[in-house]
Amino acid sequence: MSRDRDDSRGRPGWAAEAAARSQLREVEPLPTILLDGVSKVYRDPMTLKPFTAVDGVSLSLEPGEIFGLLGPNGAGKTSTIKMILGLTRPTRGTIRLEGRDPQDPTARRRLGYLPENPCFYDHLTAEEYLGLVGSLFSIEPRTVRRRAEALLERLGLRVHGRKALRRFSKGMTQRLGLCQALLNEPAVLVLDEPMSGLDPIGRADVKHILREERARGATILMTSHVLAETEPLCDRVAILHRGRVLEMGSVKAILESDVLEWEITTDALPDQRMSLLREAGHRVDSVGSRWVVRVLDAGALQGILRTLTEERVFIRSVEPRRESLEEYFVRVLEADGVGTASGRESGGRS
Amino acid sequence: MSRVIAIARNTLREVVRERVVLILALFGLALVIASQALSPLALGEGRKVVIDFGLAGSSILATLLTVFLGSSLLHKELERRTVYAILAKPIRREEFLVGKFLGLWFTTSMLLISMAGILAAVVTVAYGATPWSVFGAVGLSVMELSIVTAVVVLFSSFTTPALTAFFAIAAVVSGHFAEDLRYFASQGAPVGVQALAEAVYWTLPHLGVFNARGLVAHGIAVEPERLGFAFAYGALYAGGIVILAGTIFRRREFR
Repeated sequence: MSRDRDDSRGRPGWAAEAAARSQLREVEPLPTILLDGVSKVYRDPMTLKPFTAVDGVSLSLEPGEIFGLLGPNGAGKTSTIKMILGLTRPTRGTIRLEGRDPQDPTARRRLGYLPENPCFYDHLTAEEYLGLVGSLFSIEPRTVRRRAEALLERLGLRVHGRKALRRFSKGMTQRLGLCQALLNEPAVLVLDEPMSGLDPIGRADVKHILREERARGATILMTSHVLAETEPLCDRVAILHRGRVLEMGSVKAILESDVLEWEITTDALPDQRMSLLREAGHRVDSVGSRWVVRVLDAGALQGILRTLTEERVFIRSVEPRRESLEEYFVRVLEADGVGTASGRESGGRS
Repeated sequence: MSRVIAIARNTLREVVRERVVLILALFGLALVIASQALSPLALGEGRKVVIDFGLAGSSILATLLTVFLGSSLLHKELERRTVYAILAKPIRREEFLVGKFLGLWFTTSMLLISMAGILAAVVTVAYGATPWSVFGAVGLSVMELSIVTAVVVLFSSFTTPALTAFFAIAAVVSGHFAEDLRYFASQGAPVGVQALAEAVYWTLPHLGVFNARGLVAHGIAVEPERLGFAFAYGALYAGGIVILAGTIFRRREFR
């Protein structure tokens, strides 16, 4: 039909098709979640004094990435998430969820959300709750039952499907929270502290599931306080403080920064050498039956290794240690004026 | 519509699992005892007294249940944040509120109809004839409940449970005396007061429309015209209040 229409305008159909295809190739994929200069100002209900929870945040999440929104308590993470979900409206700026305003319910059709410290209806069982969620997504009851069974199995809750939610532990509720977030096979997952309340096995399960969801093509926005868990999971992170984005970048780029120090692990260390190393400003610690020498200056490393070899000290390993995400996080926050116990101890590192 | 039904069904489950059924059973038992106790005192009017007492009791009980269950229903959702996970789904806030309204109204209506069933059974056993007219009066009470439920949902969409209960009870009481208010104002009150009374009269729900208990106790059936008018008035008034509640709830910010 379109070819005929093109022909009638005197343009060959195949040429029009080729032109359309090349135009399509040029169009960049739409960001899954887009925040453009978003601010949220609350007013105290009694004094009407304004409080800025989110201050000019701009984010763009690409399809199929895991994005970590990091920040201390009160940084504005949950306020940002509530605006993305349409639970609150931004005071300034624009938010788009797959190109739509989150206030529009159709924008939330392909969204899965896990709240922080989730709480579900006590009077329902896990199966009933998933049935309710399925109805809200207008999914056929048979499909809901099939998906609910699979998800309960996947998250280790199969035997608890008919148990009242009031009898669920915190970890079980968290797992159920993930089940309900995944029930509609979402294209966008917003997870507020997904590791909270989970034991190590639960955390490993959640990490595995999130990787599977990413492989399926889902975009994941997550907040977390457990940075060691976030580090291997996220493709990109943003550090939020006092409602502002302080830093944003790929985890890979952050962790491939310069070597912080070198760790030399030895079986034994003569007392005199230990004293000399400490006098030279290097840290020497006993770890079990071994000694770890931490050398900050790469130039001094060769000399120390040569000396230890001459003194017939058995060197087990020499490893570079780069900045972890947690250290990066603390450094960025300290630069923004946040005092931490470790920062005070070391006199600040910024 | 399926989303509204899902919320309504969930509300029904929530209320039923809050031991309302137990209250219903206790009421039925109390009614049986009352019918036996009141009959000798009523000088041959036992049947009338039992019907009057039973209808009034069941209506008051259903109204109180609506007010007290309804005033905390939405607040509990907000306080425990169960509503966050629900409103993040593709559902309009108005749909959520209408679902809550329908679930609560349906539950209390079922309770009222069940109580009327128990009352009819008690009267049938005690006096040998089934008082079918009771169900006409209950139909009117069900429509009255729709207005009470809507008022409760309206106040609970923006205020605390205590204030919701207070305002709802105030609306129910003044709604039953709306005619009296207008009458007293017309008896020599200043023009300003009369105008105010008139405005209040037209704003308040005219709950007297739904009260046919006296007629039914005397064995007079409720006319279909009256039933039709009451149904139309109840649907319009409750519908208007629910639309207003939905508008307020849509604008609400969840901090």
